[in-house]
Amino acid sequence: MNHLHGRDPRVVIAQRCAQELRDGEVVNLGIGIPTMTANYLPPGINVIFHSENGCFGFGPKPTTLGADSDISNASTEPVTLLPGAAIMDLATSLGAMRNGYIATSVLGGLEVDQEGNLANWAHKRNGKWWPGIGGGMDLCHGVPRIIAALQHTDKHGNSKIKKRTHLPLTGKNCVKTIVTDHAVFDVGPDGLVLREAFPGLTVENIRAITEADFTVSPKFGPMTL
Amino acid sequence: MSINKVMSLEAAMAHVPAGTRLMMGEFVGAGEPAKCIEYLVANKIGRLTLIAVTSGLRGDFLMGKLFAAGLVEEYIGTHVATSTEASDAYLSGQMKVKEIFPMGTWAEKVRAGGMGLGGCLVPVGVGILDAPGLFPDMDEPKRTIEINGRTFFVEEPLTAEVSIIRGWRGDALGNVEFRYMAAQNQKDLAMAGRFTIAEVNEIVPVGTIPPERVGCPGPFVNAVVQSYTLEQQHALYRENWIKLGRLPKPSEGDAA
Repeated sequence: MNHLHGRDPRVVIAQRCAQELRDGEVVNLGIGIPTMTANYLPPGINVIFHSENGCFGFGPKPTTLGADSDISNASTEPVTLLPGAAIMDLATSLGAMRNGYIATSVLGGLEVDQEGNLANWAHKRNGKWWPGIGGGMDLCHGVPRIIAALQHTDKHGNSKIKKRTHLPLTGKNCVKTIVTDHAVFDVGPDGLVLREAFPGLTVENIRAITEADFTVSPKFGPMTL
Repeated sequence: MSINKVMSLEAAMAHVPAGTRLMMGEFVGAGEPAKCIEYLVANKIGRLTLIAVTSGLRGDFLMGKLFAAGLVEEYIGTHVATSTEASDAYLSGQMKVKEIFPMGTWAEKVRAGGMGLGGCLVPVGVGILDAPGLFPDMDEPKRTIEINGRTFFVEEPLTAEVSIIRGWRGDALGNVEFRYMAAQNQKDLAMAGRFTIAEVNEIVPVGTIPPERVGCPGPFVNAVVQSYTLEQQHALYRENWIKLGRLPKPSEGDAA
């Protein structure tokens, strides 16, 4: 049994990320765990979801027979359009990402470091950097609040929260908050600040699995899930 | 008016020989020009340079089949692994990728090509994508320019010999109307191609598409060909989504 007592780490991360979203803001969710965030919005929090293929205001999955081949999200999963949705072309959608029209983006990561650098698009295979950038770099460039959502350690137990990233970056000094299956950190001017840990975990537990340096917030406490 | 751009798939695709530098509308499998892709695969038209925002989607979505059939010699886009077929072609060395672009950069390069510009200046990725050794096969190192104290990449326009786009309704003048997210940047792609084929779900009489609903004006299009009908297309996508686990199998009594 892990520290999550059998809970799916991906769900824990998505659920905790959802609590970071603010009512009324425009939000872009990356592929994978970030997309799951939409399922756990706290009551009373409504946001406008942006999809980089050209939409503000998409909603949940349709029924199978209601699925429309021309209405899908950035991962080509069928979605619906909520009242008030707006469609735009691809260049406009990416311009919105680049130029600050998206308030918050939740992005997955291969590595993140104590300076808020995020790497999520490339690792080396067959001697080549692979697989691809998509819209992640545009988001890191232009979105004021990037939340990195990732598992705290890789499958070998190595910390993904680094002193310094080694992989090609998606964005420099762009991450404001890091949410893992163990902890929540804010990225401050002087480095990482531990804000929360999964219930039952101590600061020492987090230190033992974290390569990055961090200080502990005076408000440090357990995640509420 | 005597203009009639509606033609058979064969007549339109005669403009796409092996070795063509080809732009294609799609987004991770959505908005694909299905009939044109099937034609390329059936006729094994290879050595293509494919300019497309992503490399399609795995499974029975179609663009991946171009990579699986070994038809793509070089890919110019934002992601080589949205389809496993493209990923395999790249990692095995069969397909060349000189450089991978951020999506907004790629879209603006296409737009610059369509609009007759000399390129565009993009701040995204400066200090990251110009790292030595990141893209060893690039023709020349990425150029930067300082403007008002900020650094930008100088990104040259992308153009093609042929562009293939997919729309909803098209007419004999080449006007094309899009539905929802399938608009993508298909109009920009149409403008950036010297010969543009619009594959549409429905061919309608001139005057049917309200002028303000024309997403790609006729003068940017050279050929209009019939795609799957919208109903057929919905059925194909639902089937593929069910196969990929993105939709449940419909049970009796489900309503649209």
